Amino acid sequence: MVDFATILAGFGDVFTPINLFFVIFGVLLGQFVGAVPGIGPVMAMAIAIPFTFGLDPLPAIAFLVGVNKGGLVGGAVPAVLMNTPGTPDAAATAMDGYPLAQQGKPLKATKMALFSSVTGDTFSDIVLITVAAPLAILALKMGPVEVVALMIFAFSIISGLMGESLTKGVIAAALGLMFSFIGTDPEHFTPRLIFGFWDLFDGLALPSVAIGMLAISEILRRMSEGRGGGGAGLTVPDTGNPEDRRVSWAEYWACRYTLMRGASIGTILGALPGIGSTAAAFMSYAMTKGASKDPDSFGKGNLHGIAATESANSAVVGANLIPLLTLGIPGSVTAALIISAFMIHGMQPGPLLFQNQGRLVYGLFGAMIMANFMNLFIGQALLRFWVKVISAPEAVIFSAALLLCFVGVSMATNGLFGVTVMLIFAVFGVLMHSFGYSVVIFIIAFFLGPQFEKSLAQAIALLNGNILNIYTSPVAVALLVLSVVSIFWFLSKRTNEVADTTNLGVPDGETLDQKDP
Amino acid sequence: MTNSADRMTGAFFLLFGLAMVFLVIPEYVEDVDRGSLSPKTMPTIIAWVLAFCGGLLVVKPTNHKAPDARFFIRATIYVAVLGASIYAMSLVGFIYVAPVLALIVMLMIGERRPVWLGFGVVLMPAAIWFLVTQLLERGLPG
Repeated sequence: MVDFATILAGFGDVFTPINLFFVIFGVLLGQFVGAVPGIGPVMAMAIAIPFTFGLDPLPAIAFLVGVNKGGLVGGAVPAVLMNTPGTPDAAATAMDGYPLAQQGKPLKATKMALFSSVTGDTFSDIVLITVAAPLAILALKMGPVEVVALMIFAFSIISGLMGESLTKGVIAAALGLMFSFIGTDPEHFTPRLIFGFWDLFDGLALPSVAIGMLAISEILRRMSEGRGGGGAGLTVPDTGNPEDRRVSWAEYWACRYTLMRGASIGTILGALPGIGSTAAAFMSYAMTKGASKDPDSFGKGNLHGIAATESANSAVVGANLIPLLTLGIPGSVTAALIISAFMIHGMQPGPLLFQNQGRLVYGLFGAMIMANFMNLFIGQALLRFWVKVISAPEAVIFSAALLLCFVGVSMATNGLFGVTVMLIFAVFGVLMHSFGYSVVIFIIAFFLGPQFEKSLAQAIALLNGNILNIYTSPVAVALLVLSVVSIFWFLSKRTNEVADTTNLGVPDGETLDQKDP
Repeated sequence: MTNSADRMTGAFFLLFGLAMVFLVIPEYVEDVDRGSLSPKTMPTIIAWVLAFCGGLLVVKPTNHKAPDARFFIRATIYVAVLGASIYAMSLVGFIYVAPVLALIVMLMIGERRPVWLGFGVVLMPAAIWFLVTQLLERGLPG
């Protein structure tokens, strides 16, 4: 599918100064926003997407990947120092990281988090690079009938695993689909549900919806909860012993099985749509604790606890791109944001991407590996600085983020109409979050809606207008049967313990206390 | 508000779905005879799904606890400020509205330190202006 020369050229592209600069800038920004409780890489990615318009596709996407990867490393800093995870993924890290910090070893804890994060991330990137192309070849053999069945299967899994109930998950998915129908219908090109607003003729702009629901709604929610104000100064305890400020090779090597277990769990869960990094982190933590000879030491500052959670939550990042690049289906909110960046730059994610833009895909893979190294170096160099950053006042950060959202959406949609739509969806996001509906399911369904309808129209045409002829495609039948089975399974056994909390549809107050395995 | 929140939203989605099926879709979606999938088909199916799931939620709510009224009042005030700022931007442009919006938001959040207020009101809008108009060579909203 992709020849060796293209692969090498793709990896080589990363080493151009401009691409390297944006990888480094992305990781820096990601670690910064991860370290500031309240922003996080998802919001930063959403805000940053419109600003990548002027860039070539590779630096733009490499930058966003850098933000995402850096955010996971940065998120561990407030988790360790303040017991307040900068990102939901880092919630489990706080369970052993915070006690270590209290013992005067905050740098040891944050460095272990950094090393574990980079290890897990690199492992999953290697898996992604190895399996994505063969999977894409398989995916190319699928026609519209199979694509429709696959999307139904993805919806059933995502609705069941994200959010707090299957019913609410289905409602969120249905709402996302309903809003995706606004604009011209994909088969006849007639206007639909535009209510006389011709600005809606091309549909709701993805940047308006995504930034409104992911960034502005989160800012509104946090401001309304009254958590803002000035940053309280943070005192970091320190024993003064140099051994407590670093992680020795012996300590790292002692965690090798824990790291591999975490990386494997993160990679497997990350490859499945709907299960996020928080679930992976808690599952890895629980399994490591269960396998430990000294389980009582967990929660009291055990390095294995940090290694388990950080390797797992970071391993999700690379694996998340497997369904995205091979099938065009985003399995998480960060994948949905990356997919929207792909589309902004004129690329259609899916199996054809390897065929049409193979060099770019391998450039992206190279950028991911490079981002891991940068995460390590920048993290090592700036951990002490991120410790200071967590005291930055939310008031300034939120007001700046609001202004950036306004400007970004205005640039992406060419005017204030898009900004108004953004605000409407921000309100919608706040309401959905407040009443326990997953915003992430909404976004994924909104994104997949047009493709789903188009594939369905093609499938019906292929089946001669009779959907019952679907039996001619055993793969589609198998996927539909799996969808029905998964729905019944979710209805009979709600897997609350693995429900993804990385999404913004997580119920209020769901913290590590409720997630303690 | 434990169960009532879910019942309330369930009832909303039940009514919303039915309104879409019987009022909105027939009025605002054109019907086309040709092709394999009518423009009305998918919206109608999804509207029925919404109505059905809304009804299901009324009958079988979860234990979700919605935030208190104070949260929604504060959120409404913030939304009003943002809405007003969008309107103001359409009249006078981003460059004049941004510092005022930043100041109002920071004061509402509770920031009172002059240095940080100055940073948010002067430095941030100026940095955004420089980034967008000088580096990216794009226009600001408004």
